[in-house]
Amino acid sequence: MSEPQIRALFTEIADGEPARSQVDIQLARCRGRARLRRRRRRASVAGTSVLATAAVVVLAMVVGPVRLGSGPPAGRPAAPRQFNPLVPYLSFGWLPAGNRLLAGDARPEVVALIAGRNLNARNPWNLIVYAAGQCHPTRPARELKCSTAALEGLTAQISGRAPAVQGHRAFWAGPAPISGLPPALQHRRARASRGKADSYLLWQYARGGWAALVLPTANATKLSAAQREAYKQDAVKIANHVRYGAATPPLVFPAQLTGLPSRWRVGSVYYQPDGRLLRASRFALTTGTPDLGADGGLEYQTNLPNFGIDPATFYRNFCPTSGSEIINGYRVVVTNPVSGTLPNESLCAANADGLALQIALQGAHPPISVASLFGDHLRLLGTNPANWTTKPIG
Amino acid sequence: MSRSRDAEYTEYVAARLPSLRRLAGVLCGDWQRADDLVQATLTALYVHWGRVQAATHPDAYARAVLVREFIHERRSAWVRRVSLSGRVADSPAAAVDQDAVLDLRAAVAVLPARQRATLVLRFYCDLNVDQAAEILGCSPGTVKSQTAKALEAVRRALGPAHPATPGGQPPAAAQHQIFPGGPGHE
Repeated sequence: MSEPQIRALFTEIADGEPARSQVDIQLARCRGRARLRRRRRRASVAGTSVLATAAVVVLAMVVGPVRLGSGPPAGRPAAPRQFNPLVPYLSFGWLPAGNRLLAGDARPEVVALIAGRNLNARNPWNLIVYAAGQCHPTRPARELKCSTAALEGLTAQISGRAPAVQGHRAFWAGPAPISGLPPALQHRRARASRGKADSYLLWQYARGGWAALVLPTANATKLSAAQREAYKQDAVKIANHVRYGAATPPLVFPAQLTGLPSRWRVGSVYYQPDGRLLRASRFALTTGTPDLGADGGLEYQTNLPNFGIDPATFYRNFCPTSGSEIINGYRVVVTNPVSGTLPNESLCAANADGLALQIALQGAHPPISVASLFGDHLRLLGTNPANWTTKPIG
Repeated sequence: MSRSRDAEYTEYVAARLPSLRRLAGVLCGDWQRADDLVQATLTALYVHWGRVQAATHPDAYARAVLVREFIHERRSAWVRRVSLSGRVADSPAAAVDQDAVLDLRAAVAVLPARQRATLVLRFYCDLNVDQAAEILGCSPGTVKSQTAKALEAVRRALGPAHPATPGGQPPAAAQHQIFPGGPGHE
């Protein structure tokens, strides 16, 4: 064995470099920033670390989380602690023929994609990816529980092993029984769940982070065994081709907010593919933890607004017919609908520069009213995608 | 990190990405793992961007970060559990006797991470003993002994009858095997 042979081997390996790289500089920057933030946080809480350590030890003893099987490679990247709602993290690399991306949903703790034949399809594919620490497997019940600050989330009962997904262990699962239900309801739920024990595919996509693919079989009825098996095969293939943190079409907004309080930021986004872009269709602002639960994928915060903006051609009779007024030359309807215990404000514009727009908020003391948001803080960018922005807060 | 520093970082790593990726590929022998390694390296470079800028030779610093990430990763329990000693990298077919090349590749693949890194630094990066020692964080004497041990291990794996040049018969001992927690791993 001589040095030249080793040199030749290394050169040959280097020359065999595939053109397509999965390295993502932007992702490295995001992770680097997150690591720096954690370091700063650790430094700032160093004084209380003894107490914190004791608390963690006690918690670990009390909770004692059990890992389902061995985890993913420790040397692989860890799952993000949080997602950036403005930067899509997920994309499908493969979908069954006739299926396409229908919509996406991004929040700090969880991101999701929906795929199917069309938005009205009853049984779409639903891919849900949780940030690190959002999911907790429990061995005795063989369950995986995932929840976020405002969402109860997914509770799945593991039914068996599935083929590995991108080298990670995977499991088939179904809806978990809900404890505490009256026997009659429990029985009804069990009957409804029959045959759906393998309607979820679960895997740990990165260290500390779980992903779930909800199969169309979760809501379908009257499927043959062969059809279910075909769905399962497709599920494994879809999961194996999911791309995390890779480049996707940019997420763009057809409107831009200006002059907002400095702490306001976009907390959650629901988007749809629009040509070669991903267009934000609804989004909510936040300054902290959402406290109003979920509504169709968004997490709301008291006294902060949420927006719905789509091309006006999508809708008919978008706004109430009475009580309209003119703001900045646009006809809008401001209402105070009654729901729940908190006061509501809502502004609706059926056609503002070709956009149908709704601004809503819930809370007794909003710093900025919906009328002021529309009149003083919102810049509409029209229907031409070339004018849309990736920065919803200017 | 300020916007301008972000831009500087992006410009720097974008320019060095191909060379870092090739080095990672040679170290890992597997391009998917190489991409993971480069991704981890870029994150580390972002975190330590101040040191990269302050370094006399930023490229050498980046290379050192990558090599240390590689050694660190290979120490992890999972890699030791599932490492396939006979795994063949996904590269184009060799022009010469493929069996011989694959045997050599397999023999190098099962080397402990530090020994493999030593060979790569010496024979791929063409670093001298002192430079390799600096990157590996050890003495020049250790680099020399690691190099000798690595070459000896490869010779042993290929067997005494293995030809010095491609074109001979593959040795029976170098068939693909799985070594859970393989001997010699760090």
